[in-house]
Amino acid sequence: MQLPSGNRRRWRARSRKQPPEEIFQQRFLLLKALIVLLFGVLALQLWRMQVIEHDAYQARAEFNRLRIVPDLAARGLIYDRNGQQLVYNVPIFSAAVIPADVPDEQLAIVVAELSRITGVSAQEIDEGISAGRESNNPFSPVVVKPNLDEETAFLLRERLPELPGVQVLVESIRYYPSGALTSSLLGYVGRIDSDEYATLQGDGYQLNDRLGKTGVELIYESMLRGTPGYRQVEFNVVGREIRTIRSAPPRPASNLVLALDLNLQRRVEAILQEAMGDSLNAVAVVMDVHTGEVLAMVSLPGYDNNFLTDPVDAEAYSRLLNDPAKPLVNHAIAEIYPPGSTFKEVTGTAALQEGVATTSTRITSRGYITVPSEYNPGQVYIYRDWAALGTLDFYGGLARSSDVYYYYLSGGYFQNGQQVFRGLGAKRLAAYAREYGLGVPTGIDLPGEAAGLVPDPAWKEETIHEPWTLGDTYNFGIGQGYLALTPLQLLRVTAAVANGGDVLVPHVVREIVDEDGNIIQRVEPGVANRLSISDRNLAIMREALRQAADYGTAQSGASAFVTIAGKTGTAQFGQVLPNGDQETHGWYTGFAPFANPQIAVVVFLEKGKGGGDAGPVASQIFDYYFWRQLLAEVDGSP
Amino acid sequence: MNIRTVRLRDLDPILLLAALGLVAIGTLLIYSGSLNRFGPPTAFDFSHPVVRQATFAAVGLVLALLIARLDYRSLGFLSASLYVTSIAALVFVLVVGEETYGSRRWILVGDTPVQPSEIAKLVVIIILAKYLADRQETIGTLRVFLTSLALAALPTALVLAEPDLGSAVIFAAIWLGMVTVAGANWRHLLGLLTTAVASTPFAFVALQGYQRERIALWLDPESDPLGAGFNILQAKISIGAGGIFGTGLTEGTQTQLDYLRTETTDYVFSVLGEELGFIGAMVLFALFIVLLWRGLRVAELSSDLFGRLLATGMVIFILLQTFINVGVNIGLLPVTGIPLPFVSQGGSSLITLFIGLGILQSVLLRHRRLSFRTFYEP
Repeated sequence: MQLPSGNRRRWRARSRKQPPEEIFQQRFLLLKALIVLLFGVLALQLWRMQVIEHDAYQARAEFNRLRIVPDLAARGLIYDRNGQQLVYNVPIFSAAVIPADVPDEQLAIVVAELSRITGVSAQEIDEGISAGRESNNPFSPVVVKPNLDEETAFLLRERLPELPGVQVLVESIRYYPSGALTSSLLGYVGRIDSDEYATLQGDGYQLNDRLGKTGVELIYESMLRGTPGYRQVEFNVVGREIRTIRSAPPRPASNLVLALDLNLQRRVEAILQEAMGDSLNAVAVVMDVHTGEVLAMVSLPGYDNNFLTDPVDAEAYSRLLNDPAKPLVNHAIAEIYPPGSTFKEVTGTAALQEGVATTSTRITSRGYITVPSEYNPGQVYIYRDWAALGTLDFYGGLARSSDVYYYYLSGGYFQNGQQVFRGLGAKRLAAYAREYGLGVPTGIDLPGEAAGLVPDPAWKEETIHEPWTLGDTYNFGIGQGYLALTPLQLLRVTAAVANGGDVLVPHVVREIVDEDGNIIQRVEPGVANRLSISDRNLAIMREALRQAADYGTAQSGASAFVTIAGKTGTAQFGQVLPNGDQETHGWYTGFAPFANPQIAVVVFLEKGKGGGDAGPVASQIFDYYFWRQLLAEVDGSP
Repeated sequence: MNIRTVRLRDLDPILLLAALGLVAIGTLLIYSGSLNRFGPPTAFDFSHPVVRQATFAAVGLVLALLIARLDYRSLGFLSASLYVTSIAALVFVLVVGEETYGSRRWILVGDTPVQPSEIAKLVVIIILAKYLADRQETIGTLRVFLTSLALAALPTALVLAEPDLGSAVIFAAIWLGMVTVAGANWRHLLGLLTTAVASTPFAFVALQGYQRERIALWLDPESDPLGAGFNILQAKISIGAGGIFGTGLTEGTQTQLDYLRTETTDYVFSVLGEELGFIGAMVLFALFIVLLWRGLRVAELSSDLFGRLLATGMVIFILLQTFINVGVNIGLLPVTGIPLPFVSQGGSSLITLFIGLGILQSVLLRHRRLSFRTFYEP
C-alpha cells in the first residue's frame, strides 16, 4: 500500500501506540509454546530417569542405605591338655572413621576434633580418610587409633553425634597369658594384610579383619573363626545404624584342646634356658610315641606373641626381625641341621634289616680308618673315630657310638683293593632314611615346616655336579655331610624305633571342642609310614640305645626315675677353626620307659656336645616327667 | 476509583486454586523432608518448617486478596521508589548478609531470614512493566531498549556479586521476555544475543572458581561422588529410585535417611520424585501449567500494556524458576540455588509469589470493570 509521505509518520506513530491485538496473540502463543517445550523437556528427562533407568537408580539407593555388616563369633579359645586356658579374648576400643560417611563440608571439623581427642595428628587422619575414599570400599572403617584408653573411648562416644562418620569400634584382641612360652605353638592373630585380603575376600573377610598369622592360630583359623553371620543394616547418611533389616547369627567358633602339657612346657623351657649357654638357638620337644601328640615344644629364643597381636608393637617387631637368632622361627620344625651320631639309629636298623650286620658283628676301631683316593691312589684319606674303642659288637658299636663301626656298616671296608666288609651303600641307606620320614615334612599341624635333605649319589650329581664318593657314604652313615633334618624329624625317628615301626604324624591339637566342651572332633593318631624293619631288629636297636644310656655315651641322659634308651649326637658344622677344631651342635634323643615306651624326647643345642650338654637336658626332662607320674600314682593310690 | 465496585467473585479461582494446590503439595513434601529433624509438627510451633510454611502461605493469601482489591496501576506510581528500595536492600545484603554455602543472600529480620533477591524479582517486573508501558511509542529505539536493559542489569549485577548465578539468570529472562512482548526491535535483540553468545568464553573465564567447579560437576557428578558431587548424585538417585509411583510419602529412604540435603528447599523436588514418583511429578507439572496458562490469560485479557507486561513478567518468572529448579534436581542444569515456586520452603519466595498473584488478580478485575465502564462512561 502506497501512502502519502506526509501521512506516513502519523500512521506509524499511531500504529505503535496501539499494536494490533494479533501481534500480542502471536507473542503469547510463543510463550505458551515455551511453557510446553520446557515442561516437555523436564517430563522427558523424568521419564528417562524414573521409568527407563529406574532399576539402576533403585539399586544405587539400596546400595546407599543397606550395608552388610559381618557378625563375627567370638574367636575360639585354646586350652592345654589339662584344661589350662592359653588365650583370652580381650575387648579394646578403637577410634575409626567410615570415609564415605564424612560429609565434605564437615571433614575439617571431624578431623580436627578427632585429632584433639585421640592425639593422632590431623594430617595422619586426613591421609587415612583420603586413602579410604579412594579405595574400592569407602564404607569399610579406617582405624585412626587402636586401643583407646577407657576415658578417651568414653569421651569420643559422647561426641559421636557431632562427628558424622566417626565410630568407636569395639574389637576383640587376643591375650596370651603364657606369652613367649607357648608362642612357637600358638602363633598370633593380626590384622589382615592386603595380600591376604585379596585371597580371602570371597570367604567373608573384611578390610579391617583379623586372622591367625602363624602357629595354631593360622592352621586352625577356620575353626577358631567360626562361620561369621551377617546383619543387613540400614544406615543413614552419616553412617548411624537405623535398623537391622535381616540377619543371620554367626555359627559359634570351636575351641581347641592342645596335646601340650603347659606345666611340662614350662619346665622344659626352664631347663633348656639354663643349658643353652652361648648357643644361638636351642630346641627340646617331647612327644607321645604312640599318638604323635606333642606334649612340649620349646624353641629358644622365643618371642612374646602379645607384642605381635594387633595392634603390633612396631619397635618390638623390628627388633625380633633383626635378631640373628631368628626368634620368630620355630627352630624345632623350620630349621635343618646335621644330626650327627643320633642318625646311627637309622644306619644301625637299616644294617640289621639288610643283613649287613647282626648283633654279633664285630668291628675293631683303632681310632680311624684310611681310604685311598679313588682318583689318586697315592693319596689316603683318614676317617676318624672319636677314640680308639677297640673291638665292639653291634650293641657296643652303638652304645660307645663308634664312628668306625658305622663307617663299616654304611660304606663297607676295603683292604688292598679287596672288599673285606660289605656295607649298605648310599642308595640303600638313603632309602631307609626316607622310610623314617626324613627329607619330607612330618605333616605336623604347624606352618613353615622344613623338609630336610636326604642325599644320595643322584642328588649329588644333579646338585653339586660331583660324583659320590665312599667318603660321602661314611659321612652319611654317621649323620654328617649333606644330611640335614629338623629336630622334630629326628624325634619321630626315635619314636618309630620306640613304638615298633610307626612313623607318626606329630600333632599339636588333640581335640576340637564346642563352646560347652563337647568334643566335635578328636585328632586321631596319624601314621605316615610303617617301617619295613622287623620287630626283632627294632628291639635290638632299643636294647642298644638302652645300653648307650646305661654305660655308653648317652649316660648323661639317664633318669633316676625310669630306665631310658637314648643316643647322643655331636654334629660338626661350619668352618674348621685354626686349631683344627670345629664347632658342633649338641643332640640328644631318647625314649622312656625302656620296657614300655611312652614318650620320646629330642634336645638340640646350636652350640654344644651331645653327651656333655644336650644329655643333661634330656635327663631332667625325663626326671620331671616320670617323677611327676610317680607322684600322681602315689596320690592316686588309696 | 471505587474499590467497592470490585467484587471478589470476579477473581480467577482456577489461578488461585492451582497456586494453593502447589502450596499443599509443597507443605506435604516439607513435612516428609523435615520429619527426621523436627518430628511431626504441632500447631503454633513456629519453629517447625511445616507450620512456618503454612503460616507464610496464609499470610501470602491474605496479602494476595488485599492487593487484588487495589488498582494495580497505583503500582506504577510506586515503582520507582520500590525499585530504589530493592536496590538498596540488595546492596545491604552484600554488606551485612548472612553467609551460607559461601554466598551472602540472606538478612535476618528479627528471626526470619529474608532474601531480598526474591522480592527484587517482583520489583523488576513492576518497574520494567511501568517503563515499557509508558514508552510504547519509542519501544523500538535503542535508547529505550538499553535503558530497560540497564534497569534489569543493575539488580542482576548485584545478585551476581552475592554470588547467585541462578537469580541473575531469572532477572535476565524476565527482562528478555518482557521486552519481547512489549515489542522490542528484533535487530536489537539479535545484536544483544550475538554479543552474549560471542562473550560466552569470556564469561566462563570470569566465572568464580566455585561456579566453574559446579559446571564441571554437573557434567560429571561421579568425579567426586562423596564430596561436591554428592548432592547432585543423591538427588538423581532419589528421583530415579522413585519410579512411576514413588515410595509413598515419608517412605523414601533417600529422604528419610538424609542422603538428600536441603531437602525442604532447593531439593524439595527430589523428595517428590522419590516419594510420589513420576505420577506425582506430572500432577505437579499440570498444576504449574494451569497456573501459567491462567497467568497468560490475564495478560491476554488485560486492557493496557502495563497489565499485560506485569502478567507476562510473572509468568516468565514462575516458568523459569520452575524450569531451573527442576532442571537442577534432575541433573539437566548445573547447581544453582533457586527455589521451586510455591513448593520450596521459604517465606520470602512464597510471599513474593502471592503478592504477584494478587497483582495478576488485580489486573484481571480491572480488565472487566474497565470494559464495563468504557461502555457506560464515555
